[in-house]
Parts: sequence; structure tokens; C-alpha cells
Amino acid sequence: MSAPVVETHRLAKTYGLSPVLREVELRLMPGAGAYVIGGNGAGKSTLLRILAGLEAPSDGYALVFGQDTRKVAARYRRRIGVMAHQSFLYPNLTARENLEFYGELYSLPDPRASAELWLERVGLAEVADSRERTFSRGMEQRLSAARAMLPEPALLLLDEPFASLDHDGVEIIASLIRSAIERGAAVIATAHAIPEIEGVDFAAYEISHGRMQPHLHKEEVRRGGRIRSLLGR
Amino acid sequence: MLRKDLRLELRSGESTLALLALSMLVLVVLVFALDAGRVRSVDVAAGALWVAMVFAGMLGANRALLAERDNGAIRGLLLSPLDPGTLYAAKLAAALIFMAVAEVGAVILMVLFFNLEFDVSIARLAPILALGAIGFSALATLLSAITGRTRGGDMLLPILAVPIFVPALIAGVKASAAALAGVPLDSMGQWLKIMVAFDVLFVTAGYLLFEHVVGEN
Repeated sequence: MSAPVVETHRLAKTYGLSPVLREVELRLMPGAGAYVIGGNGAGKSTLLRILAGLEAPSDGYALVFGQDTRKVAARYRRRIGVMAHQSFLYPNLTARENLEFYGELYSLPDPRASAELWLERVGLAEVADSRERTFSRGMEQRLSAARAMLPEPALLLLDEPFASLDHDGVEIIASLIRSAIERGAAVIATAHAIPEIEGVDFAAYEISHGRMQPHLHKEEVRRGGRIRSLLGR
Repeated sequence: MLRKDLRLELRSGESTLALLALSMLVLVVLVFALDAGRVRSVDVAAGALWVAMVFAGMLGANRALLAERDNGAIRGLLLSPLDPGTLYAAKLAAALIFMAVAEVGAVILMVLFFNLEFDVSIARLAPILALGAIGFSALATLLSAITGRTRGGDMLLPILAVPIFVPALIAGVKASAAALAGVPLDSMGQWLKIMVAFDVLFVTAGYLLFEHVVGEN
């Protein structure tokens, strides 16, 4: 039986006197996905930052690949792809140069070929030699997704991956997430509402007042009258 | 990393132009402000050169990290397998290159404004300026990572960096004045030792501490 990719136990985070996360329990196996939904300021991004190792929890612990997130070794960081509100891209580099740079950072065997491939996958091949600062928000989001998925990580942490995307963009990102799951990656994606990805059945969690409710049934969410789909269905 | 930084700088040229302009400004102000008839020209020239270099060094170190602040790129680097010490080394190298460009410009301007000669005394300056550039770049790169995350960080950097750099600055000025006056390098041992010690201390400190000053943990 394979080990969980992500595991948290009584994970908590407090900023000053304000608790943002309280006793979060999460366990994610390879090839599984989880949506974490919640309103603005619910703690979704904080959870991802902790799992990415960018912040330390105030209490409890979080493990990725069995490693404490506060000190993940380089060989495990190679296996984590993060898509955040910020794109981590360089405005004065072209789309191709940005991906080649990250390809080299992640020691890919052929960064240029990988960059070409991923630009094709996210529908940005025609603007490969345009500087990132000329991109629209949606194009930037696609390029950020390519950057995160370029090394084909075993864990994807995606903070509102469908934000600012048009219909085609959503389909592209959904397809990439589906491919990642199919190759055995674990995916955690945050959103304000549960998006529909055909062919993928994600567990759904809701963060409210810092607490994450596990195994929230998606039908209950739908019946609750919340926004159904970012795909416009 | 360094290739990316140099590519970005070649595209914009902002840092290089700013560094050269700043060096020129400092030297012009000092050449008119200081009465060259009362003090030795080489002493004045050495002091003016180092003032220009320190300002240029602060600007260079700040610029070296500036690119990483756009779009949160520093987080992308921290999330990657890149060793933080290697990140520091790359930023130090970029800051050093910026400072070296400024130094070359400043030396040329110094010779012109202070009526010196392009002779062997200028060549003797090279190792002294190199040691100074390494030490200041190492210090400023480390401090810039701290101050860049604070409000008013651009003002904070010189407040922190200059007092710490004073020992190497004094040694550099003394050694530079001596070199311009024709003193051979092996007679400046005490000043050069101070500069080497400063360089070793802050390059090592930067390499070991950089992870803790750029990370958010």
C-alpha cells in the first residue's frame, strides 16, 4: 500500500491573535485529488502555503512525501508544483525563457524541449517569444500552470487554478489536472466553488472559520445553492 | 540564475545606467565641494571613489534582488530544488558585476576629474577595489534581502550597510590613496588583511544565513 503524499494532523495556523486554521486533518494518496473550498480569507491559501513549505504551522504538523514541510529536502521540492495567486514569472522574460529557466532550475534533461511542449499544452505556443508582461491575466495564469507542471511533480498545490480563465483556459487546465491524476500525482486545488472536471472525482472539503470539514458531499454543496460551476454549466 | 539576471539587465539597462549616473554625480559633487589645493589630490580622489562605490554598491545589490520581487518570483525560487546558498551566490555575483561596472566607470571619472594619470597606480587599485566590491556586495546582498521585505527598505539598506562596512571602507580608502600615491601593494598589508577578513566573514555569513532571511518561515 503506497504512503500518503500529504498528511496533516491537528494543523493550525495563527497570525497574531487570529487563528486562520484550526486542527486541520487531511490525508491525500497518490492519484487522488481534493478540492478545498471556502470564502475569502477562509484559510485556503494559508493551507497551501504550509503544505508548500513557505510557512510553518503554529501547531500540529504537515507532511509531504513523509517529510515535515518545514524542512523538505531539495529532492522532494523537485516533486512539488505550486500555482499561487502570484505567478512566480519574470515580466521581462519571454514565455519560453521563463519556462526554460524553471526547467533548468528543476534540472530537466532538455529545458528547451520541455518549454516548447508545455507552451503547446497551455495554448501559448504562438506567443512563446512575447514577454510575460504583455500577457493578459488569463495568459499569465496559463503560463503559471505550465511553470508549476513543467517538472511533472508528484504533488500539485493549485491555488484557484481556474481564476481569470476563459472557457478554453479552464478546459486546458482541467485537462492538465486530469492528466496529472492519471499519471499518479496528487492534486489539491482551492476554489470558491467546486469546479467540474470531467473524468475526475475529487474529494471536497470546506474551510469555514479555520476548520476544515472532511468528506463534504458534493451534492450537499450543490443543493446548498452555492455557485455550481466555473464552467458555466 | 546569473544568466537570467544578466539577460534581464541587458534588456532594460536600468541598473547599469543608474549606477554610472550615480557614480558620476558623486564624483562631480565631491570634486567641486572639496578644495583640492588643501589636501592631496590622491587622498581626495580615493575618498571620492569609495563614496561613489558604496552608493553604487547599494544600488547594485538592491537591483540584483529586485527582479525576484516581481510576481513573487522569489517564492518560485524558494519552492524549487535550488539551494538557498546557491541563490545567494548568484545574487552576490550579479551585485558584484553591477558594482564592477560602476567601479570601472568611477575610476575613469576619478582620473579625469582629479587630474590623475592612467598609469601603474591605477592598475594597483584593481585588487583593492575587487576586495572592496566583494565585501560590500556580500554584505549588501544579505541586508537587501532583509530590507526588501520591509516598508521603507530602500532607506533602511544604507542605514544598516554603511556602519557595518566602515572597517573595510577605511581600509579601502587608505589602501587606495596609498596605491594612487605610488606605494606598492605589499606595503599595504594591514589594510588588505582587514579587507580580506571582511570579505571572508560576510561571504560566509551570507551563504549560511540567506535561507533564513528570504524564507517566510
